[in-house]
Amino acid sequence: MNLEMKRREFLKVMGWTGAGLAVAACDRPSFITSREGRNHVVSYLEPEEFAIPGVGVTYASTCQQCPSACGVNARVREGRVLKLEGNLNSPLNKGKLCAVGQASLQNHYNPDRITKPRVRRDGRLVEIGWDDALALLREKIGPDAGLNGKRFAWMTDTISGHQAVLVDALMESLGSNNHYVYEPINSAVWRAVCRDMLGDENPRLGIEKARVVLSFGADFLSTWGGAVSGSARYAEFRNAPRGVLIAAESKMTQTGANADLWVPVRPGSEGVLALGIANVLASSHGRDLSALPASVRAQIDAHDAAKVAGITGTSEEHIKRIAELLHERSPSLVLAGASAEGHEHGYDSVAAAMTLNLILGNVGRTIESSAGFPFPQLRARSGNGRSVIDFAQALEEKRFDVVFFKGVNPAFTAPAALRLNELLAGGPFKVALTQFEDETTLLADLVLPLYSSLEDWGTHVPSIQPERNFISIQQPVMEPLYPETRGFGDLVLSLLHMRGDKDYAGYEDYYAYLQHAFVALPADVKNSVTKGVGGDAAFWSAVMQQGVLEFNTATPAALVAKPVAFEVQAAAAEGNGYFLLPSANPNLWDGRHANLPWIQELPDTISKAVWDSWAEIHPKTAAKLGDVKTGDVLRIASEHGTLEVRAFVYRGMHPDAIAIPVGQGHTAYGRYAKGRGVNPYAILATAQDRKTGEPAHHMTRVNASVIRRADVTWNNGSGMDRLVVQGGSSTQVGRKLVVTVSADQFERTEGGRA
Amino acid sequence: MSLQNIIENWSSYRKGAEQGGHHNYEHLWGMVIDLNKCTGCGACVTACYAENNLAVVGHEKYSRNLGMNWLRIERYWDEPDLGEESVAEYQHHGASFLPMHCQHCSSATCEPVCPVAATYHTPDGLNAQVYNRCVGSRYCSNNCPYRLRYFNFYSYYEESWPAPLHMQLNPDLTVRDKGVMEKCTFCVQRIRTAKDTARRERRKVRDGEFTTACAQTCPTSAMTFGDLLTLHTPGGGVGETEAASLWKKHQVELGKSRQQKQNPELRGYRVFEGLNTDPRVLFLERVREV
Repeated sequence: MNLEMKRREFLKVMGWTGAGLAVAACDRPSFITSREGRNHVVSYLEPEEFAIPGVGVTYASTCQQCPSACGVNARVREGRVLKLEGNLNSPLNKGKLCAVGQASLQNHYNPDRITKPRVRRDGRLVEIGWDDALALLREKIGPDAGLNGKRFAWMTDTISGHQAVLVDALMESLGSNNHYVYEPINSAVWRAVCRDMLGDENPRLGIEKARVVLSFGADFLSTWGGAVSGSARYAEFRNAPRGVLIAAESKMTQTGANADLWVPVRPGSEGVLALGIANVLASSHGRDLSALPASVRAQIDAHDAAKVAGITGTSEEHIKRIAELLHERSPSLVLAGASAEGHEHGYDSVAAAMTLNLILGNVGRTIESSAGFPFPQLRARSGNGRSVIDFAQALEEKRFDVVFFKGVNPAFTAPAALRLNELLAGGPFKVALTQFEDETTLLADLVLPLYSSLEDWGTHVPSIQPERNFISIQQPVMEPLYPETRGFGDLVLSLLHMRGDKDYAGYEDYYAYLQHAFVALPADVKNSVTKGVGGDAAFWSAVMQQGVLEFNTATPAALVAKPVAFEVQAAAAEGNGYFLLPSANPNLWDGRHANLPWIQELPDTISKAVWDSWAEIHPKTAAKLGDVKTGDVLRIASEHGTLEVRAFVYRGMHPDAIAIPVGQGHTAYGRYAKGRGVNPYAILATAQDRKTGEPAHHMTRVNASVIRRADVTWNNGSGMDRLVVQGGSSTQVGRKLVVTVSADQFERTEGGRA
Repeated sequence: MSLQNIIENWSSYRKGAEQGGHHNYEHLWGMVIDLNKCTGCGACVTACYAENNLAVVGHEKYSRNLGMNWLRIERYWDEPDLGEESVAEYQHHGASFLPMHCQHCSSATCEPVCPVAATYHTPDGLNAQVYNRCVGSRYCSNNCPYRLRYFNFYSYYEESWPAPLHMQLNPDLTVRDKGVMEKCTFCVQRIRTAKDTARRERRKVRDGEFTTACAQTCPTSAMTFGDLLTLHTPGGGVGETEAASLWKKHQVELGKSRQQKQNPELRGYRVFEGLNTDPRVLFLERVREV
């Protein structure tokens, strides 16, 4: 890299004085002469707004790295954003932030961002100006385009707040209702079960109130329902009187790694395990099952602990112990996540888990009604996995002429068996609203570059509201890095203008619209912020400073539990190879963070591997495959494709399963992501849950074989041929680095128990 | 503190921790990490990268153990008791996570071996590293029992921050060049800012006024950072901080080569206590229901 150029850019951005502080300290002596430097001097007499050289200021905004919508405070100095912290005002994350949230900065400053619109000409994407791009859009979806609205579709990630209102308005203007909200990592089946059994899709889960939490693969410390809020509740749960965490999973999640008791479950038999626990609760502890439908009672009766142990691989002793803990320590909380959901009978397994909550009387104690958010039009449209299957189906039927993508990368996350790339390649006119050249962008006909989340305006309504209802505000924390990128809200608004929509004609830009929307809020909402002092301007500025707007809502009605009938099954028995578990990666997420170097270099919680993929297997599986050691390369083949990936052997797996975390294996997406590791989504089968239609992503069967042994000697010149992990030893080798004490002892010293 | 000063007053700087330590301390920064709460998520690690201009070294260099992570989360699996052959079939109690950054020992083994006094003890009780004094002997790293010092074998700035990633660099501290040792500073730039602000406002630094990047972001609030001076010299500069009260509560004393807890069941311990380095990071034992 040309250092001198780098320094000059630095100076341009920072001004001479600020740069002197930063650069003089940080690398080689500056070669810039004072004559050159004079061109960049910023006068103290005419300061930029808030830009006091050397002094940082903080702006509140909202993190956009996952659908949780945590509040952030951005530290800005000399016009550059330097660091993010959690926003203490946010009732969701209360001043805390996860690794991925910290790494928003690298999303913003990423060297691989798209800086100008691009259009496909002769098969290649070439840069064009915004005027040309918008003219092309007018041709396709303008009022004179003659587009039948039903032939327009939009696929987005989870969307809420005023962006959702604008997207709805655009869809309405076009006469389309084809809005596909796609999140590859979701809890759609859980939400469906909550809707059916509790009458509330997003009930509040009082982890901190529970004395026992039993999780069937619900990784609430990382990818399930919001990592930071889940962690805060967990921390409270661990205070005296200390709650007991039990995890029953086929692959140890981050939550499982923190469990007091972790038990293996054969993939797909989570529902059977739940029945077994219910059976012991009734037979040994006298719990009442009479409120349950007869068919459910019959299934519980038919599954005693011994039988369940045979099916699930969980020992009879453990099943009894779990039931005992759940019975003795009340209230408890039973959760179910991806590994229970991802089968053809996923809904039934989750329903069986939820039935445990009913039996244990947790509804109304640790599972409470979400306070109804007062503005339904702003509520989150929570994504699911089914939408990509429906979308592929519609493409197959050639139902669309124009499709938009925003915040999603289906060309990477959809199973290859859906043939999405093929269907898109020959299909409709594709418009990608994006920051990066990911796999989906590369298929697009028109690419519209967006602001980063730290440059854009927005409002976000978390789907799972904490104790108080609130909207989280996203505001730009610095000037856009690239003049030819645009804000998402601005872009949708300009499309509405193009369509001649009268409702939105009066708003010059998205900022004007947002400000109007806030000022138009009911007086009591505004007064709750301003305490009656100052007018609308004071309200707006207070909301911007706080980063959140809370609402006083009436206490919600109590939940009414309604048992449903279900038919629990175990996945097919022996034979047919191993179950492939495409496990959700806490940091790479569904692959959207693979282009962030901090995240690539952050060791995985379980394997401690960096910059790569790996396949987690149990030592028994390793023995069966031929004395496989961590680092050996396995070939893993489903009927839809083959992956070659290094093994990671540990005792947190069921021996019938092989887990490969999702997120790597990009064929595009910039220098940090491309050509690294493997993408397990690519070889998944397209089976669906029978009740909800969600992808049954945990039931693909694969064969595995060793194709190369790791070489941990130094003598092959190019370094060791191994899985790159942090640290050398997987145990403490008898040293007392982490000392473990019993919960009894903890309660004696810190819980006030005698 | 000039080099001359250090050479002339060497013996007073090398006073043992039990004789009151090196200095008349102004502060004595320390930490408490509760392993009952740490989930091993790694938020602290990334926060540290963001705050302290840590270089990303890439896959190949990481494979040669050249990662520059000042803070790492060690993950251990249960092992058989010593002398036993067999292990359980499953990892029934999850993993053991241990966040490790510089322990800022009061009797640090890294300090006396530095030939140029680049590694020294500050009046705040920090194990500091003076980058522009460091000649890269790496003796300090060799002598650190915790392996928490990181050496710049390369000029990482040439590749780690391609434009415009370099715009994120924190101007409150430097980017280190080849040949220099670096390590956790307890976010000394934040300490500096807080002390300067307090001095300007003619008051003492308040507890909770600032914290380190790792402790600030920790989603489970497992880390508590603060001044331990009151533990060291009763009636010292500031009131009892939250961190100091946790040390007291768990009956772990600074400057003691052998801890004598009245209640041995209390969870506080220091890693490698027996080495007598007098570390200033207190860990609270991991808890499991058995």
